[in-house]
Amino acid sequence: MLVSAIRSGDEQAMAQLYERYSAIVYSVALRVLGDTGVAEDILQEVFMRLWRSSDTFDATRGSLPGWLAVITRNRAIDSLRKRRPEADITDVVVSIEPDIAGAADSSRALEKIRGALGGMPLPQRAALEMAFFEGLSHTEIAEKTGEPLGTIKTRIRAGLLTLRKAFNP
Amino acid sequence: MSVHEQFVDDLSLYALGALQGEERLTVEKHLKDCPDCRHELAQLQGDLALLALSASGPKPPLRSRERLMAAIAKEPRRTRVRLVKRKTWWTALEWAAVAAMVMVILLLLRQNTDLRQRVAALEANSAGQHERLLQAKELIATLTSVDAVHFTLVAGKTPPQPQGKAIYVRSTSTLVFLASNMPELPPQKTYELWLIPTSGAPIPAGLFRPDTHGSAALIKPPLPAGIEAKTFAITVEPGPGSAAPTSTPIMVGIGG
Repeated sequence: MLVSAIRSGDEQAMAQLYERYSAIVYSVALRVLGDTGVAEDILQEVFMRLWRSSDTFDATRGSLPGWLAVITRNRAIDSLRKRRPEADITDVVVSIEPDIAGAADSSRALEKIRGALGGMPLPQRAALEMAFFEGLSHTEIAEKTGEPLGTIKTRIRAGLLTLRKAFNP
Repeated sequence: MSVHEQFVDDLSLYALGALQGEERLTVEKHLKDCPDCRHELAQLQGDLALLALSASGPKPPLRSRERLMAAIAKEPRRTRVRLVKRKTWWTALEWAAVAAMVMVILLLLRQNTDLRQRVAALEANSAGQHERLLQAKELIATLTSVDAVHFTLVAGKTPPQPQGKAIYVRSTSTLVFLASNMPELPPQKTYELWLIPTSGAPIPAGLFRPDTHGSAALIKPPLPAGIEAKTFAITVEPGPGSAAPTSTPIMVGIGG
């Protein structure tokens, strides 16, 4: 509903959407970048992109907070590596089951996610978080940890499947 | 749903944006042709979204909101907000009305085209008739003009003889009669042309008095419909003409 209002040029709807999701966007950017100023810039950029091209978000193909979180992470990694945005936001298709738009759902989902991460073997969680929040490639992680490349690949995939299973047991 | 085994790990890396060069191109090429792997990629993006959400916590400073709203105010989207949302059934009704109007417009356009074609055909027909009418008028004007000079061509030194030519169309009861070298008549007399039917009494076909050159013409005199003509004849009658010949014909048609 909010996205369709934004498509109509409703600034008030944009304000509401910011209230609801700015913490997610800001948190992800801050986690990746570790710098509040740059994280604020990314926050601004992501919401302005949404304002300019909200038509590119297809509600039938994913949840808005998940979509925002992924494009924020991608943009933050690009910023971290001082490179131009690699993919247009339209390229991101997020298939996510839980509806975490509401505050109650959001905190319950967060609890589940953190529970799943906490339950992972440490090397698996580390590989996953290095790949996602630090933007390291599997080769870089292998060099950093001294583990074989194949092991890193397997850990990343296994970690993602663990998260998925937390919502689809 | 089966994801191709050789792409299982690479799809995760692709979702993370960690694949480069040849490896990335290979996955992208495969994704174009494989709906199952595209679905798996969307699932992996969802998994990554969950991972991203694990970072939730700190809220942005208030100035960020002000900054965003100021930027948005400077860059309004082209479509503005509709203040009144109308009910779905009313929208459906509007669409139905629009559809009906489109049908009516199409129907009218078609009728208009038909009418234009018919008008064009009538105009063409009318133009043809007008042309023929002009030719007929010109012919009649030539034949009946007082300025017309009639020449009779004869063999040797034979003096010109009185002559009449009757052209008769039975189906339309149309008669055109031309006379030349007709002798002058006393003032109280007139020539009368007769249609001699194959059976029955002669029928009056018009009165005429020749001009100073002895020429005369009768164009479409009134005649009863569908009479078969055996021949035509000319008599000299009293001025107002007669209903039946009162004298012996001075000229009778030959041939026919």
